[in-house]
Amino acid sequence: MTQMPDREKFPVHTGGVENFDLESGRYMKVWQGPQHPGVTGNMALELVTSGDEIVDLKTHVGYLHRGFEKLMERRKWIQNFPLVCRICVPEPDFNEYLYAAATEELAGIEIPERAVWIRTLNLEMARLTSFLMWLGGQAGAFGMGTIGQWTVTMRDFMLDLFEELTGGRIYHMYIVPGGVRGDVPQGWFSHVLTTLKNVEKVLDDIELVLFNNAVFKKRAVGLGVITPDMVDYYGITGPNARASGVARDIRKDRSYLIYDKLDFDIITGISIGVDSDIFGRTRLRAAEMRQSISLIRQMIDKMPEGPVHVSPPNVLHWKIPAGETYLSAECTRGEYGYYIVSDGSDKPRRVYVRGPSYTHAVALFEHMAPGTNIADTAGLMVSLHTYPPEIER
Amino acid sequence: MSIKDIIAPFAVWKRAFEKPWTIKKPIDDRPGADRYRGFHKNDGDTCIGCGTCETICQNAAIDMVPVDGVQGDGGDSGLRPQIDYGRCCWCALCVDICTTGSLTMSNRYVWTDNDPDVYRFIPGYDSKEWDNAETGYSRPEGYSLLKEERVEMPALSVEEGLKSFVEMIKGYSAEQAVKEADRCVECGICVAECPAHMDIPGYIRAVREGNIDEGMRLLYETNPFPASCGRICTHRCEEVCSIGHNGDSVAIRWLKRYIADQVELEDYGKALPRPEENTGKKIAVIGAGPGGLTAAYYLRMLGHDVAVLEARKAGGGMLRYGIPEYRLPYDQLDKDIEYIRGLGVEIRYSINVDAESFKNLEKDYDALFFSTGLSDPYKLGIDGEDNPRVFGGLAVLDEVTAGKDPKLGKTVGVIGGGNVAMDAARTARRYGAEVTVLYRRRVVDMPADIEEIEEAAEEGITIIPQAIPLRVEDAADGKVGFVWNMAEMVDDPDGGRPRPQPIKGEIHTFVCDSLISAVGQGTNLPYLPEESESGVAVKRYKPVVDERGQTGNPGIFAGGDIVNSRKDAVSAIGDGHAAALSIDRFLMKKEA
Amino acid sequence: MVDLKALRAEMDKRYKVIEISEQRTDLAFLECDKIDVPDAVAYLRDHEGYVHLSFITCVDRLEDEQFEIVYMLRNHEKKHDLGVKTKIDRKNPVMDSMHNHWAAVATYQRELREMFGIEFPGSPGVNRPFALESWAGPPPMRRDFDTRKYSEETYFPRPGRETHDPAEHMKKTQYPGRADL
Repeated sequence: MTQMPDREKFPVHTGGVENFDLESGRYMKVWQGPQHPGVTGNMALELVTSGDEIVDLKTHVGYLHRGFEKLMERRKWIQNFPLVCRICVPEPDFNEYLYAAATEELAGIEIPERAVWIRTLNLEMARLTSFLMWLGGQAGAFGMGTIGQWTVTMRDFMLDLFEELTGGRIYHMYIVPGGVRGDVPQGWFSHVLTTLKNVEKVLDDIELVLFNNAVFKKRAVGLGVITPDMVDYYGITGPNARASGVARDIRKDRSYLIYDKLDFDIITGISIGVDSDIFGRTRLRAAEMRQSISLIRQMIDKMPEGPVHVSPPNVLHWKIPAGETYLSAECTRGEYGYYIVSDGSDKPRRVYVRGPSYTHAVALFEHMAPGTNIADTAGLMVSLHTYPPEIER
Repeated sequence: MSIKDIIAPFAVWKRAFEKPWTIKKPIDDRPGADRYRGFHKNDGDTCIGCGTCETICQNAAIDMVPVDGVQGDGGDSGLRPQIDYGRCCWCALCVDICTTGSLTMSNRYVWTDNDPDVYRFIPGYDSKEWDNAETGYSRPEGYSLLKEERVEMPALSVEEGLKSFVEMIKGYSAEQAVKEADRCVECGICVAECPAHMDIPGYIRAVREGNIDEGMRLLYETNPFPASCGRICTHRCEEVCSIGHNGDSVAIRWLKRYIADQVELEDYGKALPRPEENTGKKIAVIGAGPGGLTAAYYLRMLGHDVAVLEARKAGGGMLRYGIPEYRLPYDQLDKDIEYIRGLGVEIRYSINVDAESFKNLEKDYDALFFSTGLSDPYKLGIDGEDNPRVFGGLAVLDEVTAGKDPKLGKTVGVIGGGNVAMDAARTARRYGAEVTVLYRRRVVDMPADIEEIEEAAEEGITIIPQAIPLRVEDAADGKVGFVWNMAEMVDDPDGGRPRPQPIKGEIHTFVCDSLISAVGQGTNLPYLPEESESGVAVKRYKPVVDERGQTGNPGIFAGGDIVNSRKDAVSAIGDGHAAALSIDRFLMKKEA
Repeated sequence: MVDLKALRAEMDKRYKVIEISEQRTDLAFLECDKIDVPDAVAYLRDHEGYVHLSFITCVDRLEDEQFEIVYMLRNHEKKHDLGVKTKIDRKNPVMDSMHNHWAAVATYQRELREMFGIEFPGSPGVNRPFALESWAGPPPMRRDFDTRKYSEETYFPRPGRETHDPAEHMKKTQYPGRADL
């Protein structure tokens, strides 16, 4: 039962001018948000409804705008690493990694091998942590709050690991230009393995109660279908694209960090036999969580010894040669990227942060929402896995 | 849809029988992890208030504030960081960059209060319960945001150095200088310690940015002897350098030298300001050492006419006659002096000032500055020291400056532990002698620069510490014997430095061809009229001056080794500069 | 791997390529004239495999009085990123809209108009505020917009804060006699 909008039923509107005659009594405008319309962060949805059916949706952002890109232009290169992690709260490490790696590329710094491994480990842990939070949100959006309790608990145990490694729970500020800030503490790897076991157990339970669940199936199957031909036009990346059968994963395609030394395959909707609806995407993400767990175990197994940091020049006067680069990484939502321009001074000329939610939450969501039921909006939005702060940076 | 889809969700109920994950706070406390970045701790005794934490803080959360009971001196600004936790983002950049390692973080993060102002405090001084917390974030081993190692200075090998009087230190290349300058954090702690209060962070910045002309301008703002000071300065600045607390201090002296080395004398004028409009005032300066010539330079820059009277045949004072050529080549000293002379300062050599001419000078000139240095060697005060094989340290250096072989023989003993003793010993070494230095206290007590002591040792000079001189006697074959008593160090009950005390029976004789006595010099002021006539008081052999060099006679000023206690070139330069500004103030006020 | 020389030859046949430079084996930048950009990007998408638009952004070249607009394209087949750049006049910042190329372009153009003040005539909804509802100041991402000055004028500092420069403080406390000369 696909619930794609029947385009002919409603008048076409272009140019941002709403043609809906709100006086006619056929339409009603509803605001969803900006106070956390899912577990995603502050974002407002301006809905035009006809009955309980959505006929138009506009995404409004700006509730989290802190001007990070501008702030970075006014700070020295080293002063930005505490800043970038705040661009995406549930997954700060991608910002830290991409900022540090792009800076290193422009400055011509090679970092030690162990640091590269620890960075990769960090990113996979961040993926797992972020997926845990998302999974609870997805279940919660369809009224299954219990699962949210479980996953947020597990996320907290993951945050304990981050706290032990980095000294911070949410904002780790651990991946710095030149490597990572400190070596792994004594006994930390075994703590990771213990927590992974607990997460796996909870994941088993979740798969049992969520994927064999009449309510979830009724609501999620067939809702929010992404077809492969939409992928390029809407700029869809990550699990949203993979569930439709498009096998693209930057970890494989570009093999940055040490992903080429790890054993994993791209998971697509086809490879695990699911459709590209909310139900399928949820299953795909659950499969990617198990993939992350496997990758973390592989890395702990093979982690090389050695130093974890090389010192840049005195950071107070650190100037980076003029140049520009774009680096991207596969975060839970897709292509996360940093475009950095240096003009040879001690501060970046321009830092542009590419978050996958930019297209998913605006162009794609505005296209998918019409025709769906108002009660499904939150579920649909969460299924696209959007985080507003990375839209407005 | 299957029957399983209806039943499976009830599996969540099994969790009702499991132990809850929730922590019962505050019954079960959950401390932060060992590395947790919580509220700051600061070890006040280690902190020097350099303010680098404030500089790096990207949130402007740190203010440097004076703290009651913290007496800033000797490389401590007396300021301490105060942190505003309304702005702090707990990134710990301040901890990572802290030059002394005093700033760390505790793992405490829970603290609630109604008053927002309590969240702004001075860690380590405003007492907090986590001040003694053992866990929390500190800079990880091997992680550094600053460069702790100094760029090595290229120098002649010891063997090469001993062959001649060629300058041993070669100087930095541009690349090396920029790299070394990059290590500076521009805290400015060094400025107070420098007797001339040079703008050290400023000229280091000029080196880093490749702006040599700006560097020259900054050097000459406070010191017209950069080529000389860049080689032989006692560099007290480096002793307090904040980088030196966790690594090698920045090579401030070598960077100063680097700037001066880059500019030919002919091009000095392009970088440096010209003297001001002529004021018509005339000032006489007695002594063309660093103190006198510095005063002359700044007075000339202020538009006054200056005449410098020097008893010897060339200027530079101790820089020329007391420091051997391998440390300060004469052409470098001449470069400094020539620039000052070229601005219109008249230097008259071979003029001995006596009490009569002093009084005439006072009459003929609007003001007078004297800085004649220490020329009177101290006696050893033991029997037989007038033996013809005993020479004065300065006399030996003097002779070498004049180009004469001092003819010291094959074995030489040097008595003393100051720079003159080291220079004399190393000079004797260059004439092929086996040299032994005998000093009454320990090596660490030697007043000579540590580098001079180390280099002397590298050149094969033996140092015998704790040797109390007893007497000098003739020895066989025309040699001379130095009899000394081994001492042990005893603590001073008054808390002063440990004193040597002779050990009974431990009496030795050191036999050598020549003995050089270099136990310091005193003032010699034969030209100074009585206080009743000149208004200049002398106390403990020193003319009495205020901190700006003014004597009891408002028109007469003094500076350099004869008045200050540090007795080095840069202190004399500081005195000369202060006196020049003071004279200008005195003269121009008189006018107004 | 992409043969940049061959790509340039193909592009040169059709458009005026000002410069092409390689940053990494999987990243290059190509600069064209403003007028050629929409067609060049469409060509790259349809014939060279650059089907994915990663982002559109702008670099303010204030000193050259230019805005540099960057279109970052991705070729999944050849695993290559290509940044297509063009410079437009900063005093008259107008750029052709490319909202028909990809769905998200309209959003990027809306944001660029808001943050840099670049006009994209014809772009749907381009005049609606993006992140800055009721913002009255100049486009804030322009380099001549001073955020610090703005915040100092707009907000009040927390009272009771005062800092001291170590060198200046030491001058006053440790050698006051000479400091005032």
